[in-house]
Amino acid sequence: MLLIEADGKALFAAGGIAVPAGILATSADPPSLPGAGPWIVKAQLPAGGRGKAGLVRRCASAAEVAAALRAMLGATHKGHRVGACLIESEVTGVEHYLALMLDPARYGVRLIHLAEGGVDVEQAGAGQGVLCAPDVASIDAAIAAAIAAPAVAAAARALGRMLLARDLMLAEINPLFVTDTQAVAGDAKVVVDLNALDRQPEVARLIEARPEAYADAHRKLHAGFDYVEIDPDGQIGLLTTGAGLSMMLIDELTARGARPLNFCDIRTSMLRGSPERIVAALGWMAARPSLRVVLVNIFAGITDLAEFAGLLADALAQSPGLRVPVVARLIGRGAEAARQVLGERAPGVAVEDDLDAALALVAAAVRAP
Amino acid sequence: MIAGLSRATIAGLSRATIAGLSHATIAGLSRATPVLVQGIAGRMGRTHAALMRAYGTNIVAGVAVGAPGREIAGVPVFADCAAAVAATGAVVSVAMTPPAETLAAALAAFAAGIVLLVTVAEGVPAQDALRIGLAARAAGAVWIGASTPGMAIPGQVKLGFLPDVALRPGSFGLMSKSGTLSYEVGWRLARAGLGQSLWVGVGGDPVKGMRFPDLLPVFLADPRTRVIVLVGEVGGTEEEDCAAAYAALGGDKPLFALIAGQEAKEGVAMGHAGALVHGASGTLAEKTRRLEAAGARVFPSIEALVQACAAATD
Repeated sequence: MLLIEADGKALFAAGGIAVPAGILATSADPPSLPGAGPWIVKAQLPAGGRGKAGLVRRCASAAEVAAALRAMLGATHKGHRVGACLIESEVTGVEHYLALMLDPARYGVRLIHLAEGGVDVEQAGAGQGVLCAPDVASIDAAIAAAIAAPAVAAAARALGRMLLARDLMLAEINPLFVTDTQAVAGDAKVVVDLNALDRQPEVARLIEARPEAYADAHRKLHAGFDYVEIDPDGQIGLLTTGAGLSMMLIDELTARGARPLNFCDIRTSMLRGSPERIVAALGWMAARPSLRVVLVNIFAGITDLAEFAGLLADALAQSPGLRVPVVARLIGRGAEAARQVLGERAPGVAVEDDLDAALALVAAAVRAP
Repeated sequence: MIAGLSRATIAGLSRATIAGLSHATIAGLSRATPVLVQGIAGRMGRTHAALMRAYGTNIVAGVAVGAPGREIAGVPVFADCAAAVAATGAVVSVAMTPPAETLAAALAAFAAGIVLLVTVAEGVPAQDALRIGLAARAAGAVWIGASTPGMAIPGQVKLGFLPDVALRPGSFGLMSKSGTLSYEVGWRLARAGLGQSLWVGVGGDPVKGMRFPDLLPVFLADPRTRVIVLVGEVGGTEEEDCAAAYAALGGDKPLFALIAGQEAKEGVAMGHAGALVHGASGTLAEKTRRLEAAGARVFPSIEALVQACAAATD
């Protein structure tokens, strides 16, 4: 998962990489600005392309800063809402690009350094740079061979240690402002490994501290399953299991002109006899006024669908706030018994075993007055 | 043929030879191949050892730290992999361990001489996976995982928990990042009377064992496979790398692809840690472009893929 820049820079600072003086603003009247200006105001959200979207602005006065904040806060970009802006003192220097990342195909770490930074080198990546073994000595040796400038090499060594020690997948600085004496991180693109949070309390604390910026990660950490809201005005709530099938369902619905609300991998094998996860997911869906219908799609290889149907009936009974039709497409082990369970305990649920038939019911529910 | 392989016979061989052995290791699996289950005393291990046996897999041993000397799912349980291999001659292992214990389980398996390891844990840290990958490479072993429902030669053998309802012997070689999406594809193929020659779930992790481009030569060389079906996802470069391999190998077998995640949200891993899009990297558009340029066909929906498969058998 990509951290917002301010959190990436917090890790940088803790790891010994210089970052500009900055403050985080969540409203248009910020506390005292760092330094005498000029300042750079940057929207904080976990997605690239901010510069091209006008979400990074250079401001010469406090009034310009306030105007930039008003324009950016609350805006949305690539599905993320801007809840905070980073205001930093402008830093100058020669712009470099510096990144260390895991190389999944070669089981190593890749070091990329370019003596020119900027927006357009963001496509640097796989296949470029130098490959080394995933240990500090190998990374340091690669840096010594590839980077001459002492300040840049020092930043690279710090970045390499951070990558290994913090279980990062990517640590990128673009631009890195380089002068004769120092290298300052102008940006921070840090991808953390959510699977390693149990042994990374510092990273876990960053995520814990921002329930809004990392809403999807919060849901995963606290509910134990994946629920990603993809369209806050979506009409179709998805209660599904399996990441790939859930993504494909979203794609196929969208291609038909429908508006799915969310991605969901409820992990039926982990329900362990409790409707808790289903209740949570239905609650998040019901909280969106645009919701028109819930589609349940479960392909059960191992899970007993009759047991799942019982839990779904329990969850529906515990979700009085959910006032939309529910279509369930259940396939696999125990599908017949599941149909019976729902027929008795939740007769309002339309059960289908063909996906296209279920999608037709969903489309009808969206169109209904 | 796999039963004759051991760590001693493959140590020190060239990369090309090892690639050839990957093919022999995977495609050479049969009902005779002796398989052990690590973590057999856990809920998953116990359940799936029994289900694999019922399917026809030759499960010969289990490993569980606290339960040596017992019998679970009809097989003897050993305290460690080395003892299980020494007593039973197992050459394949399915590790049903929790994510935090999977690195240690894998290292123990390779040290004991296992030549094919399937791990199923969801949530193995990427840097643990790097270490498993390096250890597999050093041992000359094949690793499938970290998080995968496993693999199968339908009608013969399955390692892991691919659902029986979706397995049917046939001529489509299926490789997939997603478990459930491949179940849906396999099930619809089976419903249409079409089956699979070999089915390998590579899993949705960013760092993993066998990747699509590693498996491509296995399917190209497998005489049972007539059409190769790739079920991918946004994120990473596996589909792109597979496209390059397909173009380079000049395969005479059609490659059909289905890729999920057109609508994935940038910067957020969509359920699978590997399904992370940032910038233009890992997008569906780029994967589609590269696969089509290499001569593969990419389909917009599950049904379109299945219809093309049906047409390909006429």
